Amino acid sequence: MAEARMPQKSIPKVNKVDEPFWQGAAHGKFLLQKCKSCGKLQFFPRVACVDCFGELDWVESKGTGKIHSFTLVRVPRNPAFKDEVPIYYINVILDEGVIIESKLVGESKEKVKTGDRVRAVFQSTHDPAIKLPCFELA
Amino acid sequence: MRRKKVCFVGYGSTEYSRKSEASALSYYADAIRGALRQTGLNKKAIRGFSITTQASPDYSPHVAEQLGLEVDWVLNGDYGGAGGVMSVRRAADAIECGHLDVALLVGGNSFDKSVPTQRQLEYQRGNFVDVYGYGGPNSLMALIQRLHMENYGTTLEQIGKIAVAQRENALNNPQALFREPMTLQDYLTSRMISDPIRLFDCVMPCSGAECVVLASEEKAKQITEKLVYLVTDAEISHYQVANMLPDKTTFGQKVVGERIFSEVKHSDIDLVEIYDDYPIAVMIQIEDLGFCKKGEGGKFVDAHDLTYKGDFPVNTGGGELSVGQAGLAGGYLHIVEALRQLRGEADGHQVKKAERALVTGIGWLNYGRNLGTTAALVMERRK
Repeated sequence: MAEARMPQKSIPKVNKVDEPFWQGAAHGKFLLQKCKSCGKLQFFPRVACVDCFGELDWVESKGTGKIHSFTLVRVPRNPAFKDEVPIYYINVILDEGVIIESKLVGESKEKVKTGDRVRAVFQSTHDPAIKLPCFELA
Repeated sequence: MRRKKVCFVGYGSTEYSRKSEASALSYYADAIRGALRQTGLNKKAIRGFSITTQASPDYSPHVAEQLGLEVDWVLNGDYGGAGGVMSVRRAADAIECGHLDVALLVGGNSFDKSVPTQRQLEYQRGNFVDVYGYGGPNSLMALIQRLHMENYGTTLEQIGKIAVAQRENALNNPQALFREPMTLQDYLTSRMISDPIRLFDCVMPCSGAECVVLASEEKAKQITEKLVYLVTDAEISHYQVANMLPDKTTFGQKVVGERIFSEVKHSDIDLVEIYDDYPIAVMIQIEDLGFCKKGEGGKFVDAHDLTYKGDFPVNTGGGELSVGQAGLAGGYLHIVEALRQLRGEADGHQVKKAERALVTGIGWLNYGRNLGTTAALVMERRK
């Protein structure tokens, strides 16, 4: 018989490419990649600039932006998240001009509309080394 | 690009089941048997084989060995929901180059619990999407639908009309899992899943497989009198990938459509089989492919009868929304239904004038944008 296992909430499997991002998040910083050649900012973390294939640096975002779109998740893919439903899954456009997938948290999230201003907050996970960048209404 | 000497010569479909745990391989075999019966081809005549599936292991040589296929050409069509159309393109290339005269292309999945039926999430979805408790593709498409509704005034009634019309098309399709009539009210009151995506915006996962046989014109004439030619086809992967502020409500089908319709006219198309993981995805593709302007998909839907009896027949067998989504058979369902129509074999849901069909595939809902893979083809019946 298969061993019964409680589902766990998904956390990132940190790799060499995105390790600096998660280290930044653990210290309350939202890091973006910036191309050393053309200056373009990008997210999610990759090994080369998506535009010119240049090499990359890390820069800190202000962590502020606006709600581009949102959905209230009633049925999470991973059932371990059921205790959080409805989950306010969002697309945010950071003020630096980069689209981010994340989650809206905080007291007044029920009032969310597209275009609302948001700021990054960092949520603890069951792995003490990992904090998740989320957003709350500003 | 314009094709001249590549034909579809047959197809095979299995029953779709919400319960069967038969192996994915046995589903592929069933679909292949159907195609061999229809074409009269001997298995040994098959020298090209492609598989599109999420079942593991999906390595194409492994699957070919299981099925006892000694082949000159083998392909893993791992392009998500665009796997059908994109595999057809590669097989057509091989046939035009003279590597092959017959290729057999299969898509399918099953609930066989002895093998993993889903790949692990790819890196960006695993590390930057799933960690927030998102609702799978339902949530990613919900973000797109909300933008379409807010930016263009598209209504739930307009989106729902697509689902309702497709259900009407499914009523006489024995393969469809859903053959009970559905009203717009049923759609509007169905359970919320990841708003604004409701239950009747979603496909039903099931077990099943589809198979398509492609051949050179010369070989095709020996196989069948029902000659269906591949006329033109196009694809793009990762449209807008370098754009950190992408237009989420425009898919790569915009580029695909420009290429396709430089070869044929919109008015030449008798029916469209549009990849329908969601009704909103159908509406957006109708816009992107140039049947109407961006943002006017709602009005277009209002103005047309989308059933097989109508003036703009869409997903004439019910599509994935009413037939069911047997994993990556989804990208083949539309090709097979178009073939049924053009061969005059769509009993009970036959479009009257069915000479030219447009078929699309889309796949890989991705981080921040929309679809990773988008493709389309046009096929034509010639006497």
